[in-house]
Amino acid sequence: MATLLGLDFGSTTCSAVIAAAHVVRNTVTGRMELSDIRETFRAELVFTPLIGERLDEAAIAAQLDRWLIEGNVRPEDIVGGGALLTGLTARRANADAIVRIIRARIGDALVASADDPCLESWLAFMGSCVSLSRRHPECHFLHLDIGGGTTNLALGYCGEVLATGCLLVGARHIRVEPGTYHIVGLSALAIELLAGLGIRKTVGEELDPHEVQAVLDYQVALLEAAVSGDTSVFASPLARQHLQVAIPAFPVGFHDRPLVLTLSGGVGELVYAQVHGASQLSTTAFGDLGIDLARAIARHPRWQKNFRDYRPEAGGRATVYGLLRHSTQLSGSTLHLTATHLLPLRDLPIVGTIGPETTDAALHTLLDLVCRSRCGGAIRVELLPNDASCVRSVGARIGQAVRDRKFPADLPLVILLRQNAGKTLGQYMTQWGRHALSLLVVDEIDWREANFVHLGIMRDQTIPVSFFGLPS
Amino acid sequence: MVRRLRPLAEIPVPDPQPEKLYRGSFVGRDFQFHGLKQLLGAADVAKAGDRHAGLTACSETAREAARSLLSELPLQHFYDHPLTDNQGVVDSVMRVNYEIDLEFFARIANQTLGQLKNDLMQGTGAEILQVGRGLTGVMAAALAKICDVHELILLARRCVHPTQARTRLGMPGTLSSRLQPNHPTDDPRGITLLCYWGLSMGSGDALLGLNPAVDTVDNVSTMLRLLDTIRRRTGAPTQICVLSHIKTQLACLQRGEPVEILFQSLAGTADTNLTEFDITVDLLDDAYEQMLRHGPLREQARQFMYFETGQGSEFTYGRHNGIDMTTAEALCYGLARRYDPFMVNNVTGFIGPETHCDSLEMILANLQDHFMGKLLGLPMGMAPCYTLHSNIILEGQQIATELLAAAGAVYYMDVPLNTDRMLAYFDTSGHDNQTLREVHDRQPAAEFLDWCVARGIFIRNDFGQILRGPRWGDPQQFCDSLEEFDQIVSSTPALYGFESAGPRPANQVSRQARLHQAIGREAIHAELDFDRLQTVAAFRIVETQATSKPMHLMSPDLGASLEPITAARILPEYTDVQILVSDGLSAEAVHYNLGNLLPVVMDGVQAYGWATGAPMLTRYGRVKLAEPLAERLQARLIIYLIGERPGGDAVAARSLSAYLAYRLDPTPQEAAAAFSHNPAIRFEYTVISNIGSQGLPAVEAGSLIVERVAQILKYQAAGNRLESILEQTSHGLSRTPA
Repeated sequence: MATLLGLDFGSTTCSAVIAAAHVVRNTVTGRMELSDIRETFRAELVFTPLIGERLDEAAIAAQLDRWLIEGNVRPEDIVGGGALLTGLTARRANADAIVRIIRARIGDALVASADDPCLESWLAFMGSCVSLSRRHPECHFLHLDIGGGTTNLALGYCGEVLATGCLLVGARHIRVEPGTYHIVGLSALAIELLAGLGIRKTVGEELDPHEVQAVLDYQVALLEAAVSGDTSVFASPLARQHLQVAIPAFPVGFHDRPLVLTLSGGVGELVYAQVHGASQLSTTAFGDLGIDLARAIARHPRWQKNFRDYRPEAGGRATVYGLLRHSTQLSGSTLHLTATHLLPLRDLPIVGTIGPETTDAALHTLLDLVCRSRCGGAIRVELLPNDASCVRSVGARIGQAVRDRKFPADLPLVILLRQNAGKTLGQYMTQWGRHALSLLVVDEIDWREANFVHLGIMRDQTIPVSFFGLPS
Repeated sequence: MVRRLRPLAEIPVPDPQPEKLYRGSFVGRDFQFHGLKQLLGAADVAKAGDRHAGLTACSETAREAARSLLSELPLQHFYDHPLTDNQGVVDSVMRVNYEIDLEFFARIANQTLGQLKNDLMQGTGAEILQVGRGLTGVMAAALAKICDVHELILLARRCVHPTQARTRLGMPGTLSSRLQPNHPTDDPRGITLLCYWGLSMGSGDALLGLNPAVDTVDNVSTMLRLLDTIRRRTGAPTQICVLSHIKTQLACLQRGEPVEILFQSLAGTADTNLTEFDITVDLLDDAYEQMLRHGPLREQARQFMYFETGQGSEFTYGRHNGIDMTTAEALCYGLARRYDPFMVNNVTGFIGPETHCDSLEMILANLQDHFMGKLLGLPMGMAPCYTLHSNIILEGQQIATELLAAAGAVYYMDVPLNTDRMLAYFDTSGHDNQTLREVHDRQPAAEFLDWCVARGIFIRNDFGQILRGPRWGDPQQFCDSLEEFDQIVSSTPALYGFESAGPRPANQVSRQARLHQAIGREAIHAELDFDRLQTVAAFRIVETQATSKPMHLMSPDLGASLEPITAARILPEYTDVQILVSDGLSAEAVHYNLGNLLPVVMDGVQAYGWATGAPMLTRYGRVKLAEPLAERLQARLIIYLIGERPGGDAVAARSLSAYLAYRLDPTPQEAAAAFSHNPAIRFEYTVISNIGSQGLPAVEAGSLIVERVAQILKYQAAGNRLESILEQTSHGLSRTPA
């Protein structure tokens, strides 16, 4: 059994989910997988311990220890998952501290990702909507993970994320005294928003119902623009300020299929509670506008049926579920590894892709890029399926280029393959072991167009692999 | 309620007698049979295994003569002539068979076998069972040989012997089933799906029983917990079992795992049990006692042992001691009876054409087995089954199930869509079980039936009849969400749809399943295309003693030997490595994989600088052919690429194995002998199996083979001994080729 751990540290709250899984080869796809992932522990959401804007390191360390004890986890059993740092926790000093605290307890099994909104969007889709979208290949899915500060958007089809984006629309830009609209805090963006809407209120004052409605209408209008792909709305300076990452561009042929809108995150969960009549909460019970925003979204005439007909999984914990279930892949079990002692390899840049048609010049350019990185680098290799001659020729060509380039023997070179051909490709690259190279050919990886890769420590003949730095 | 075992030494057995000559004159012709074993063999219907063993009658008349002679023997004669092993000794299995009701036996001892049969035909079920308690396995086998099909069915049908764990098996009017959710990699998702599917069809009241792909204590423990979770989650009143070796299960029991029912395969000779199954009567006795003390169902179950048997295992391993397959099977039952099992499962047909070559042989053998088991008081579940390399077909297997249901079989397997995804054979399905229940007016066990009715799997109409309900055949009903259902479906091979038409799979589902089966069978009967393969490499052609496909399939020994002229032409080459390619049981696997596999292997052999000859190619080869070839060539190692037995789906017909046969020189031979406790060991094998599109791709397998060869040659060891050495050194090979 393998253990997975997902940690989510936001500006307001943090949480942990622990799951157990089997490592098996899927006999249908032929790939190594984490199978039968079952949640074994779900921590209650707790407030992120901050002193001002600095992390309370002692408190966060104690919290992590509590989760590990309550979850009955032995750190050495953890094979993957991740820690997602957003908002204040993603700031450099705080992020460094959290990573240090995690590594001291768990080692290198987890990838900590800070301030990567596209990764968050992807994780929310994978953690919440992936099965639903696979089940409905007749539809595109636009998934909105609406939290305290941001709305992460992911456009997907048949379980694949096609595009991501991020809006600064969330429940906690305006914080109020629970049960009232008495303002107790405003984010910088909220100050701009109130000003832009002509609302002259600040901390200590109370919003009247019309002012609340104006805020909600504006936020819903931004969401509507994102859902409809109407980029013109974002031409105004105020709207542009709400755009953290451009909203997903709809792909060619997009309009041939109906679009299904799904939600997750704290606000998303409240929307479904509203739609299904399960919400008994009074307005601003959480000290923000989340319940009101959820009601406004739930009442949207074009979306109501959507929310009734399609309900994704995971709700408020979509991101952490995504972390748990989808941030870590397992490599195949037959790999070419001449440098296992180098594992784990963190934050390795992925410099590009090589295929059968790649010119020698392009090949040399990519190897040069890896050489320039002090920690080495990764190259994706595309091969023709089930074609030994392709593996032999591509392997021999890369090997020749490596030798021509006098590639440093001690610099990690990671080759990422989709097919199960890693051991053989490595043999041809190294001339069956004659050429010394710190080479790791990791196969059966569904690599995405990410900028970085993290390779964990080898367990049961497989390597856990995580990608981050996803493009929008 | 639960019996204490009688010590083996206290069971009285007559001393072995010299072989007797049985002779008689019938319609003017004289017949004679030397010894009881030969008489029993000749009296049986002719089956492939007995033919190969030289035990069948030479003609139909001779068979009837043997049956007549057998009929005239008093039961005391059988009692006085225990069958012995090849050393003339009464083995432990035979001894256990003499644990009979001697008081009752004394009342029937002077009856001839023929008289006994006549009496039984007039007897009630209770009377038949009482007689059975006074019979040894040999006597039961002798009776089976003089019964025709109607008699085998009628006598068995009268025997009712219910057993009880959580559910009761074998009650009148019931037909139960064991779910067999086998998965090639023990993937919990696939196992869960197959359990849900079976339960949704009203299957599984006898057992949720998994044959694990990996027989380790850790894995079996995990699988036990998985089945336990499924049982608890669905609420199905049944019991669970993971059919690993009994020692593994006992280790799990000691860990506190839910070993509710303890399983073991049995053979009818102590030699087979010891050498091939690694069990003894003492071990079984100990296991029984442990379950009695620690089994989780000890408070509620009257029985808790589960045995699997089937005609032919003793012959296949060459350890039948001259005893025919039916009699050896009856001896298994005599052994099983000692432990008052909860269930016994007969899997005659599983081995292949070397024991049962066609549907008729399989059907008759199943009816015999069922009758003998019932007569000896066992709860007989039947699994009439087949592999694709025999001539048994689905229709033949279905006829067997109908006849056995008429004969009162207690339960059948539920192997979804008849296709065992791990063991590569074909058995009864949940659809078959429901069809048989409807044809023969049967129901699942009462406790389980109530659960099914409560779930809407079955409904009870105003007349008290049980009908399929709205949720029959719907595995989704046990999932919390459609997403969960998608998850468990995603990892299960050989699924062609869940739609049904009445109790049968929908036609489109059946067509897919049968098409895949047909492709698998075609792969077995396809011939190697030498011209096509010569474009991959310049092969040298060698021949085995099998000169045709039927000979190859029926007689495994022939494919393991070189044809004499070929053998004479092969001279010592003293190479490091020799590559050999053969169709084995799938020429298609060779055609499909070799083009991507062999070039990589040959590149590797060249890169490492190993001495080698041109690769060799042969038709009709078996795995053991590597040994005479290595001896002739004086090669250190044979890389033997051979097609695997097809099963599962069409893709599985393209599965190839690489057997790396290492010929042991004197120094490694000593180490290998010490490691294996086999002083005569000559070869060790490392196997890389499941090469093909569904497993390890050929292109990747090529370099894995080369890596393994390098390890074998470096450490002068293969197989488990090599793994042990590698584990000790804690690393693989780190060498640069010459």
